[in-house]
Amino acid sequence: MLIERAHIISNTEVAHNIWEMFLDAPGIISEYKGSGQFINILVEDSWNHPLRRPMSIASAKDGKVSIIYKIFGDVTRILSKKKSGNDIEVLGPLGNTFTNWNNNYYPILVGGGVGLPPILNLKSECELSKIDHTIIIGAQNSNEHFIAHDPKNDIILTTDDGSSGESGTVMNPIDRIIKEKNRPYIFACGPEPMLVAIRDYSLKNNIPTQLSVESYMGCGVGLCQGCVISKNNTDKKENSYHEQYSLVCIDGPVYESKDIQFE
Amino acid sequence: MSNLEVSIGNITFKNPIWVASGTFGYGTEAPDLIDVNKLGAIVTKSITREPREGNPPPRIVETPSGMINSIGLANIGVKKYIKEMLPIYEDLSTKIIMNIAGTDIDEYIEILELMENQSSSITGYEINISCPNVNKGGMEFGIDCDMTAKLTEELRSRTDRLIIMKLSPNVSDIVSIGKASQDSGADAVSAINTVVGMSINANTGKSNIFTTYGGLSGPAIKPIGLAAVNKLYKDLSIPIIGMGGIVSSTDVAEYILAGSTSVQVGTANFRNPGTGEDLIDMIDTYVADSNWKSLVEMIGKVEIHN
Repeated sequence: MLIERAHIISNTEVAHNIWEMFLDAPGIISEYKGSGQFINILVEDSWNHPLRRPMSIASAKDGKVSIIYKIFGDVTRILSKKKSGNDIEVLGPLGNTFTNWNNNYYPILVGGGVGLPPILNLKSECELSKIDHTIIIGAQNSNEHFIAHDPKNDIILTTDDGSSGESGTVMNPIDRIIKEKNRPYIFACGPEPMLVAIRDYSLKNNIPTQLSVESYMGCGVGLCQGCVISKNNTDKKENSYHEQYSLVCIDGPVYESKDIQFE
Repeated sequence: MSNLEVSIGNITFKNPIWVASGTFGYGTEAPDLIDVNKLGAIVTKSITREPREGNPPPRIVETPSGMINSIGLANIGVKKYIKEMLPIYEDLSTKIIMNIAGTDIDEYIEILELMENQSSSITGYEINISCPNVNKGGMEFGIDCDMTAKLTEELRSRTDRLIIMKLSPNVSDIVSIGKASQDSGADAVSAINTVVGMSINANTGKSNIFTTYGGLSGPAIKPIGLAAVNKLYKDLSIPIIGMGGIVSSTDVAEYILAGSTSVQVGTANFRNPGTGEDLIDMIDTYVADSNWKSLVEMIGKVEIHN
């Protein structure tokens, strides 16, 4: 891991309140291991907002890293005002990666809302490795989608209000694809209610599943002990010393669904 | 390099920049981002008799120019600390101060005795009598002069290593607790621990911290820390180790002028674990560019308007 002052190549709004930023970050790329990893961004040099913001890597190639973020509050609003040519300090790459997607499974990639970036990154890796897969992207309405519904090419959109793609949640297409395919494996990232539903489904139907979870982080490197999630599997070897909790920053953010519990 | 050496008790530290307990783990977590051997000292995470998992999430939230934490003293327990961490510390050239927390006097004594029965290169102990995040935590000690005096005496009689009592700002009179520590044999006091705080999400109506209240830290509490250090400096003869919102060399200078002999960097480590190392170079430049002959000369020399 390293701290790098990265040059902003572009910062554009790709859907309503959803922004994509490309960074020139050769240092981060030199240590990057794969989709699921994140960077911790210092949005401003002043101490008005002391903590960095963890952001999943949405793409990593040719010395460039991208993130996709939604404007939630002050900090993400400040981030959206950054112009190409500005510098921004990033710490990373941090965390673990999705695994097994290239191990003779049929990956079903599921991204919901702001959880989409690592899933898009994993999709790129599947494409590079020529691995057949389906991506399912959930949102509240069509305004939040910036990728087109394209079932023929295994890109399925859902919206809660039916304004684009399939109406309803991601659970319907997940269930359908799993019944169609051999050796399905779910990889998901999104809001907690979505991850809870996918975890319950995967355990009930015995489908191998990896979830990338979000947590409020203080440091991203294991110092503050802030970003805990309850573990199911106390035997699993992890970087942190806990029995009951796992640290999302250094043990995660990607977990097998059976290994964690939501509160 | 200017002379940055400072002394506490009979120990000389190569510089006054330490990292604060609970903000730097066990000192080994971020080797890529800092050369810990440059630090004046590492104060390791609070250790209790038994391992502790800590509080349920959410444990952390950012606040204006600060943050609130309620980790709940998550730690590996003293036995694992002795077995796994002490051997690592033998190879470090920085000084290690072990922070100890307990729920009653017997727990502090037991941990200290276990440590004293080991051969180790630990320089001293910082005694957490002021963590606000644990039910029955050391808080009763930290707000009561008699309890503080008794605890300090008991520990003093069991070790020749440094004893530093870490004081809470969440009291009506921090100086009386400091004096009780001094009169009972403490080598130094450190101040301040975090300030009790709360954060609420108005959109959801929920508290942002599982335990409702947590410890506020960061630049938001620097004025509180400076006032505490200066009040202690006026009434105590033992050294004061200042902390609370230190992020820059001017913050370090302010704490030294207020009366600190050393300082601890805390919340800034979460933003950049290398902050302590950076501050050593920056304070060196600060002293060299100033009219002060050394850092020690600056201690407590703030000019007062009357």
